[in-house]
Amino acid sequence: MKKTNWLLLVLALVLSMFLVACSGGGENTGDDGEGDGTETEETENDGNTEGEGEETSGDSEQVLNIMDSAEIPTMDASLATDAVAFQWLGSTMDGLYRLGEDAQAVPGIAMDHEVSEDALTWTFNLREDATWSNGDPVTANDFVYAWQRAVNPDVGSEYGPYMMGGVIKNATAIADGEMPIEELGVTATDDYTLEVQLEKPIPYFESLTTFGTFLPLNQAFVEEQGDQYALEADTLLSNGPFVMTEWNHGEGWKLEKNEDYWDAENVQLQEINVSVVKDTATGVNLYETGEVDRAGLSAEFVDQYRTSDEFRVEEEPVLFYIKMNQEGNEILANVNARKAIQMVIDRQSMVDVILNNGSIPGVGDIPQNFVTHPETGEDFREINGDLVETNVEEAQQLWATAKEELGMDTAELNYLGGDSEVAKNLDAYIKDQLEQLEGLTVNVQSVPFQERLARDTNMDYELQNSGWGPDYIDPNTFLNMWVTDGANNKTGYSNEDYDSMIERANNELAQKPVERFELFLEAEKKLIQEDAVIAPLYQRASAQVWKPYVKGVIINPMGPDYNYKNAYIEGK
Amino acid sequence: MTRYILQRIGYMIITMFLIATFTFFLMKLLPGTPLSAADKLSEEQQAVVLEKYGLNDPVPVQYFNYMVNLTQGDLGISFQFDNREVTTIIMERIGPSMTLGVQAMVIGTILGMLLGLVSAIYHNGILDYGSTFIAVVGKSIPSFVFAGILQYFIGVKLGWFPVALWGTWAHTVLPTIALAIFPIAIAARFMRTEMLEVMGSDYITTARAKGVNKFGVVFKHGLRNALIPLITVLGPLAIGLMTGTLVIENIFAVPGIGEQFVKAINTNDFPIIMGTTLLIAFLFIFIILVIDLMYGVIDPRIRLAEGE
Amino acid sequence: MDNQKPSKDLFVPVNREENEGEKISRPSLSFWQDSFIRLRKNMGAMIGLGILIVIAIMAIFGPYMNEYGEFDQDLSRAKMPPKVEALSWLGMDGTLSSVQTADTVEEAKQKALMRFNNQEDFIQTTVLSQGGNGEQAEVEAVYDVYAAKDMQDQPFWFGTDGLGRDLWTRTWMGTRISLYIALLAATIDMIIGVAYGGISAYYGGRVDNIMQRIIEILVGIPNLVIVILMILILEPGIISITIALTITGWIGMARIIRGQVLKLKNQEFVLASKTLGAQDNRVLRKHLVPNVLGLIIINTMFTIPNAIFFEAFLSFIGLGLPTPIASLGTLIEDGFNSLQIYPHILLFPAIVISLIMIAFNVLADGLRDAFDPKMRE
Repeated sequence: MKKTNWLLLVLALVLSMFLVACSGGGENTGDDGEGDGTETEETENDGNTEGEGEETSGDSEQVLNIMDSAEIPTMDASLATDAVAFQWLGSTMDGLYRLGEDAQAVPGIAMDHEVSEDALTWTFNLREDATWSNGDPVTANDFVYAWQRAVNPDVGSEYGPYMMGGVIKNATAIADGEMPIEELGVTATDDYTLEVQLEKPIPYFESLTTFGTFLPLNQAFVEEQGDQYALEADTLLSNGPFVMTEWNHGEGWKLEKNEDYWDAENVQLQEINVSVVKDTATGVNLYETGEVDRAGLSAEFVDQYRTSDEFRVEEEPVLFYIKMNQEGNEILANVNARKAIQMVIDRQSMVDVILNNGSIPGVGDIPQNFVTHPETGEDFREINGDLVETNVEEAQQLWATAKEELGMDTAELNYLGGDSEVAKNLDAYIKDQLEQLEGLTVNVQSVPFQERLARDTNMDYELQNSGWGPDYIDPNTFLNMWVTDGANNKTGYSNEDYDSMIERANNELAQKPVERFELFLEAEKKLIQEDAVIAPLYQRASAQVWKPYVKGVIINPMGPDYNYKNAYIEGK
Repeated sequence: MTRYILQRIGYMIITMFLIATFTFFLMKLLPGTPLSAADKLSEEQQAVVLEKYGLNDPVPVQYFNYMVNLTQGDLGISFQFDNREVTTIIMERIGPSMTLGVQAMVIGTILGMLLGLVSAIYHNGILDYGSTFIAVVGKSIPSFVFAGILQYFIGVKLGWFPVALWGTWAHTVLPTIALAIFPIAIAARFMRTEMLEVMGSDYITTARAKGVNKFGVVFKHGLRNALIPLITVLGPLAIGLMTGTLVIENIFAVPGIGEQFVKAINTNDFPIIMGTTLLIAFLFIFIILVIDLMYGVIDPRIRLAEGE
Repeated sequence: MDNQKPSKDLFVPVNREENEGEKISRPSLSFWQDSFIRLRKNMGAMIGLGILIVIAIMAIFGPYMNEYGEFDQDLSRAKMPPKVEALSWLGMDGTLSSVQTADTVEEAKQKALMRFNNQEDFIQTTVLSQGGNGEQAEVEAVYDVYAAKDMQDQPFWFGTDGLGRDLWTRTWMGTRISLYIALLAATIDMIIGVAYGGISAYYGGRVDNIMQRIIEILVGIPNLVIVILMILILEPGIISITIALTITGWIGMARIIRGQVLKLKNQEFVLASKTLGAQDNRVLRKHLVPNVLGLIIINTMFTIPNAIFFEAFLSFIGLGLPTPIASLGTLIEDGFNSLQIYPHILLFPAIVISLIMIAFNVLADGLRDAFDPKMRE
């Protein structure tokens, strides 16, 4: 008996080892290949750490090593919804247009376009020398297929209906399954001419076509791959400056220059290596050891790197603000109370101390350096100025008036916290600032991401920290959301005047840029100053360190964060 | 014995079924949808997308469909990584976690047992206090702080091992050390306690009186005695380490399963939640069975099987 | 041979008193009394106990020892380094320092001044290396934060955090919460875990089988899902954390006790006790539990930090205590972000938690030795 027992023990141990080895083994073989790649990278870096100052332009290896914050959720342009996906779709694909310097649309697959008199028909002339990485030419049919696919209810795209609904003719109806997809307002007149019918005049349509959801797809390839399309590096096709050659899920991916790209002669980088790194300190440490060429900095690291030559601040047109639910709460329905909340927060200290990354105080509903007056070229923000100012005394008075009007002495508000890196400190700060208002108690609630979305959808909140980034370069992307029952409104704000302003700007004035711009200026004033719908907090910026030898990277205000097409390495 | 094992395997299936059922229904109570852009779509538009994933059916129907697929080995496709199969995702991610977990367990257990042994033999001496100190500090400094310090000093300042990322064996060194501190502490403490217990017992005194040397006797008899609490604690701990830890994976940028699981729960990626839960639960139950069987081997006086 | 026999005269009969035979030479001590005496003799354990008492006192009175409140924010005094006049030799002199490198000494100096916002009056620079010959010049700047903010007479003993809150107050307030969580976790472990494991192993067979399967199911369902559901029903806060801990916190203990009781229950002394007619309850309480006491204590020692960090983990993923309430776990979490730049934010809560843990452990070792029936003299 004793002997068999020992045998059993050994057996059990071996079995568990085997179990482990089994699952561990498969991965190891994969690692070996990867290991080789890493080694070569290291030798490159070793040779170059000393020579930073020397100018060896032209001789430098054209390899960029960077990080991203998460695994790519999908490389299928129709299904993409987040910044990571749009970034790498943007690097491997060319749409009709591409965002270039200063957020100007530059030709991609389209060489130019004509707009009809009524501004409802856009005709794009496509270049004939563009090819997919399997050799097929890129034709107008690829756009027709891709756009139809994006609104096809069977595909289940979230951004398709969102980006195309109300823009391209019949998109909403098709997405709701009420019309066949062939009815979508996009046709290929011939292989190299694409005709798009719009639902209504869209002055910013050119900038929309640079967005990921509008990228073309090679129908034959997509259908051949079926369920497997875009799941691995080898089930992908690209028509842009780079091709994805390796994709180790969760770990990183590698892009290489696309030699067949129509504009290949202007692409200098040979290779982009991306690693998934989530922790800020880890990123900084990797940057310090020379393994990556760029790292994002949190508030704490900014203090350390502020004096460095490698330190940069990138302003983003992303706004953060407190949403106030007017429907579910008596005191928030009172405009004086909302104004008091707007005025009581000291934004300057907040961006200087808590965020400390170059963010600037939010003073309206349109970010700075986002859109300019079509005639004078003046910045939107500059013309409208600061629509909210901090004034604690006036805030107290307004708050007192509000309480009097409502006959309340004290109020308690729940505040749905944010989910950014600094959320915890920010929430604590905002609680503290708001509680300067006499008799107000703020309860901070932090909930999981999906519950936040659900609560927003159901308007089950009182105050909420919220943010918005643009989908195209036009004031409409920020102002349109506050119209009555807008899908993203969710504050219960409903004002006929405001609705009609936005309505007019998007219809009658669609082709009168100056008047339209001025109407938007007026709408913003109404939204923030008169009706105090939201309390702006800050306009986000990101603090980063960049190796000085990385040059020519363009930073985009929307869509892909970075454009590497013209990037190069010099003097490494 | 065989009958007992077969019986236990039978129970295993029932337990797994119950876990799957409970988890499925609890998971469905989680708020929100799996959509990543739910804030940008109207409710009607959300419904159209959810239809594609079969999420508009009543929950019992979804449950039935899932269980039917499960019996055929189909874990479904992920929501957050569109169209990717759950099985593929788990297989990709479990490898690095397993590698780290096994390495950490082996190193941690051996070092910990040695520390505990030294501690017990030199009871209340300097070595005892020293090893107690190591074990306690190892346990009371949170692993992320320890990991951060390791990364900064050994990775950045000394440059002995890669700071983070995944690839060569060298990349596994720092995360393994960070993970191993936990089993070291546990093994050392339990080993010490049990050893002291044994050293006070009559049979050791007898053996010692017969002239067997101190180390030999303590190790041989003590180890056997200490094994029961050790495997009871270390078994489940091993599963915990092998199935990934969010914090260590984030700090060392390891493409493991721990981070993936937490993210799946936060984004309502139901198929991934179910798949990972089932995998972890299976490993766990399996280890418990192995431990229960080992009890009888280590100490023949223990009888678990009925009627034997 | 004869002369070696002792003389009978040498022997005097003992003065025998009645009851002499019943007398016990050592004072009669119960198990607990004896244990306590031995515990008192154990230096390490007493020191541990002392530290715990001091920490408990600080947790009660510490927050009231200066004028700052737990939640008082003031961004103008954010991230102030610790300052204690008497301990300035330890580096707690309220200054920040930074080493800057550049090609020339001048440039490095410029950078060093810029690092602290060019507050030249309060910055002392020292040239560490002149540079040249391919080497970079190094300049160290020491910045007297308190002087620059004109707060010399308002020292923060532990410094302040990113929102200018006093870390002394927050550390001790956090200690309260963490001690509460620790004690709670330990209690749950001792009561539910020990009872569950003991009963399961002692009765064995079908009872054991069912009880162990229940454990497997409890472990199998992801904890996080349960916690999220919990905070949907209850608001996030100390109650939901308590319940989350209660649901699964005792399982490890139950498994260990079961393993040990399985080993002990067939041993002779248990058999003897049973034969003498002891009830199951008595056997469990009087014979089995005291014999696994050492393991119970050791395992509790691991439960405590686990519970403290579980709370921190919940805060990390946004499910813990609502801001701005502090616990040692959340303070450490918060301090970790600035580990490389403002280490003081992490340092003090980490020291307190380590002290608590070391004290608990030394005390536990003492307790273990004291309770061990085999080590009784």
